[in-house]
Amino acid sequence: MLEEAGFVDVRIGPPVDTFGGASGEDKARAYEVYGYAFMARRA
Amino acid sequence: MTDLLVDPDALREQVRIKYREVAAQPHRSFHFHTGRPLAKRLDYDMDVVDALPDRAVESFAGVGNPFSLRSLEYGDRVVDVGSGAGFDSFIAASQVGDSGRVVGIDMTDEMLEKARSTAAELGFDHVEFRDGLAETMPIDDGWADVVVSNGVINLCADKRAVFDEIRRVLRPGGWLQFADIANGRPVPPEALRDIDLWTG
Repeated sequence: MLEEAGFVDVRIGPPVDTFGGASGEDKARAYEVYGYAFMARRA
Repeated sequence: MTDLLVDPDALREQVRIKYREVAAQPHRSFHFHTGRPLAKRLDYDMDVVDALPDRAVESFAGVGNPFSLRSLEYGDRVVDVGSGAGFDSFIAASQVGDSGRVVGIDMTDEMLEKARSTAAELGFDHVEFRDGLAETMPIDDGWADVVVSNGVINLCADKRAVFDEIRRVLRPGGWLQFADIANGRPVPPEALRDIDLWTG
């Protein structure tokens, strides 16, 4: 979607266990939800 | 017209309700982490975080670190989409310095009020917070060198509209740096259309 919207040089960082130890952890684990850093440049 | 999974206005109201609580009662329990422990978990520079007053950090509820892949440059003009109580805006302000400029955009009055009073307390004249939506930001075309965001785009019904708007406010060659959640396993279609699950 980023490239379709006119961005280039898209980079994605490693997954972060954003919800580990929080009450939302079970739901996050069920769908393998993690946080990521994204970077892209406007063409 | 994009076929959206949920009604954007209804979702915005749910988000406002949730984040109004995060602004007013940051130390109660949520389904996500908040505050300084979250900043440490997400590998922020804790020397910078420790220098901020509690009020600037306690309502932080991001999902990643938008500064982890690239630091901002001195003098950059930055837009923070869904700035909440201002945590990432203040981090950005520390990186761009006095000759830079940071504009936070948020739609929740309580968050805007908290962010503005903290900016005043910090004496950050190069940071301001504006009322607005991610899809229609009160920012001139091509104004920003960098757009940052943290845990916000996943809460927007029309993500393509948000990326189109971010592209509008960025100068050519400008950077989008955001953090957000992504799922490795598919979420059932009925769950995707359940608005309560988007914020809970």
